[in-house]
Amino acid sequence: MMLTSAIMINDAQALTVYTAGPGSLSKSLAAGFEKQTGIKVNIFQATTGKVMARLEAEQANPQADVLISASWDTAEDLQQRGWLLPFNSANAAKVPNQFKTANYVAQGISALGIVWNTQSNTPEPKTWQDLTAPAFKDNVTTPDPALSGASLDLLIGLQNSEGEKAWQLFDQLKANGMVMSGPNAQAVTPVLQGAKAAVFGAVDYVTYNNIAQGESVKVIFPENGTVVAPRPMMILKSSQHPDDAKKFVDYVLSDEGQEQVAKAWLMPARTDIKAQRPLFTEIKLLPTNQDGSSERSAVLKRFGALFGQ
Amino acid sequence: MSHALNGVILLALLLLVALPLLFIVLQALFPYLGEGSWRGAFSAFPALLDDPQLAAMWLGTLKIGGGVALCSLLLGLPLGALRGLFRLPGAALWDLLFLIPFLTPPYIVALSWTLALQRNGYIEQLTGINFDSLLFSSSGMIGVMTLNIFPVVYFAVSRSLLASGQRLAWVARVHGASAWRGFWHITLPLTLPALAGGVLLAFTLAIEEYGVPAALGAQAKLTLMTVGIETKLADWPIDLPGAASLSLMLSLMALTAWLLQRKLTGSSDVTAVGGKPVSQELAHAGRLQILMLLPFAVTVLLAVVLPLGAMTLSGLLNTLSGGLHLSNLTLRHFGALFSQQGDALAAFSTSIGLALGAALLTGALGFLIAWRVSEGKTRLLAMMDGLALLPAAMPGVVVGVGLILLWNRGFWPVSPYNTMFILLLSYSCLLLPWPVRYVSSALRQLAPTLQPAARVHGASRVQALRLIVLPLVAPSLLAAMMMVFAVASRELVTSLLLAPAGTQTVAIFIWRQFEQGSVGQGMAMATLTLCASLSLMLAATVLMRRHAR
Repeated sequence: MMLTSAIMINDAQALTVYTAGPGSLSKSLAAGFEKQTGIKVNIFQATTGKVMARLEAEQANPQADVLISASWDTAEDLQQRGWLLPFNSANAAKVPNQFKTANYVAQGISALGIVWNTQSNTPEPKTWQDLTAPAFKDNVTTPDPALSGASLDLLIGLQNSEGEKAWQLFDQLKANGMVMSGPNAQAVTPVLQGAKAAVFGAVDYVTYNNIAQGESVKVIFPENGTVVAPRPMMILKSSQHPDDAKKFVDYVLSDEGQEQVAKAWLMPARTDIKAQRPLFTEIKLLPTNQDGSSERSAVLKRFGALFGQ
Repeated sequence: MSHALNGVILLALLLLVALPLLFIVLQALFPYLGEGSWRGAFSAFPALLDDPQLAAMWLGTLKIGGGVALCSLLLGLPLGALRGLFRLPGAALWDLLFLIPFLTPPYIVALSWTLALQRNGYIEQLTGINFDSLLFSSSGMIGVMTLNIFPVVYFAVSRSLLASGQRLAWVARVHGASAWRGFWHITLPLTLPALAGGVLLAFTLAIEEYGVPAALGAQAKLTLMTVGIETKLADWPIDLPGAASLSLMLSLMALTAWLLQRKLTGSSDVTAVGGKPVSQELAHAGRLQILMLLPFAVTVLLAVVLPLGAMTLSGLLNTLSGGLHLSNLTLRHFGALFSQQGDALAAFSTSIGLALGAALLTGALGFLIAWRVSEGKTRLLAMMDGLALLPAAMPGVVVGVGLILLWNRGFWPVSPYNTMFILLLSYSCLLLPWPVRYVSSALRQLAPTLQPAARVHGASRVQALRLIVLPLVAPSLLAAMMMVFAVASRELVTSLLLAPAGTQTVAIFIWRQFEQGSVGQGMAMATLTLCASLSLMLAATVLMRRHAR
């Protein structure tokens, strides 16, 4: 009992970081930061939706100092609410302008693609449209865009570049038996065992990690273009330890921090750190224009009506 | 002293049970409570009723609950009757085996079934047949939950038959009734209350379950109320008034079933395992014995061997896409648990510590409550009893919502929120009814003259309590505390909702592994912890038996 009660007193001095996956990355960042500065980091790691929900539920009683989300939008939303503490890290100099603002900066970047099981006896898909072929009948999953901000970005990107043709694509996918299931990993796991052959629009780093573990799956960036999902990192105005929080952001953007990010199969935010995977400059990108949330909720509603219950 | 003790108990019940519930009601009635405003009372309900999903959620929950209750009846009644009426080879072993599904975390069972039954799952790899469409449907969900829950009906029926004995049915036989008539007119009616109680308990457990609907629901296109509440609370954008109103509706449903069950079974405890049979005049089945064992074996295969086999196997496979081949077996997932910056071990010790804390706290509090309640019949004591047993009808997700609404506020000078105490509070609230029920029924069996006898011989009240009452109810108390320990060490939904930043329990660790696509490691952790908790329980049982002898 002594032991448990000793653990139960949460260290008031510790820095609290709320972060979307990958869990192994947040752990190694916390460990590296603690080693360098002696400041303990408490991590709450979950999906973006859960992290944001917790932040919102705690608004009268804020706990988090630093937030790392997997969706650029969430940062924009929080900024408009005036929740963010402006901070320009010296280490952010090598981060491209499109991935930083006065209030938040990318920790790393992922891209969306098709995840395909190489042993599924299906032809290797090259474009999004390939997944509407008979070979993929009832054989495709997709993450729920309501739960995965990145996959919503993809839908919007497709709509922006192809207009109504994008919706014809979604209709055909629906007719071909594509199902929507949970956040990112819940859509990917069935593909590992071969229950499904491919995922339409999965975040890539989870799968790169699976490949490194020996799974026979492949990440394909379609020829007709995809989107990248920068992961915004920000300091909350309500933070009781703003100086420590700034140090943490500095650390994540340092050489050591960015190498950890690269090790987690993400693209580092800094262009001068090597990645072990294709960079956004090597992937064909769809046009994105961030013009407000009305478009987002309209797309979400329409897609939900198509694939929902 | 009684007054002081009553005060302490009531304070504890207020903190554990009454206040969280009160805040759910307040939040449901006053949607702007978070802003400290009482305006817009009742305005959350029309919005909720407008939600097209609500009816589907409500009906779905009723359907799953009803289906599980019915299937548990169909499975538990015949098995329980065979166990209670006939001399069965290995009876104690079957009982033990049927306890295992009850002790296995349901979400792990659901995920194991997924890996076994889905397209290209283990079963298809072995036999070429898949059960994909069966698994991801409401029937699949009912099936998985039934295999977890049916033991409550089995134990209710078999214990009731063993306890009532067959004497009355034999009397009928002597007077010329056939064996079937004796069963139909005498034995069955005698067990009916226990049976109905067991079935209602199965219904309550099913509608309160979060893990199985969360694991299978998305692909089955079925959202149940527990998952709906969790989504409203823990997925952006959040809807606290909606979560609170849904919680109220679900609690009312569970409360109705639970009150009905209490009414039917009166004070007798349908879940009590290991009650003392009065007289065992079990019939001999002769050559049919082998035939009788068949349903037991099939049930164990389905409820224990297959899901736990799939779980262990998934922890041992190097890659999922590699399939079932000898060359694809590895121990690396188990090895990884011990490296990983000590995360898995930390989660394990957190869970064990919290479960131990919850067992001690609920044990002490439950014993005091049961003892106070047994001493008198005042209105205060009846209220104490009711409050202590109320969490039996409260789903875990509702307790989680209540604790967040209560403690996640700016106005408390000290708050357990964001510390481990909040997990201790939630486990203790959820599990308090176990010790209270077990100790109450043990106290009822004590001769009412024992305490006065001790007092006449000069013992103080505390002495009588410590030297007479406590030793006599100790076995029941320990059994209940073991149950608390087992359930608390695997609890999923309130842990997910309430765990402070930087803390993981076993269930959270496993859930997060799945969330990130590390199936092997999640299953390795599940296998290790299940082995650990089963052997812990087994050791405790053996120790207690030896002590009792």
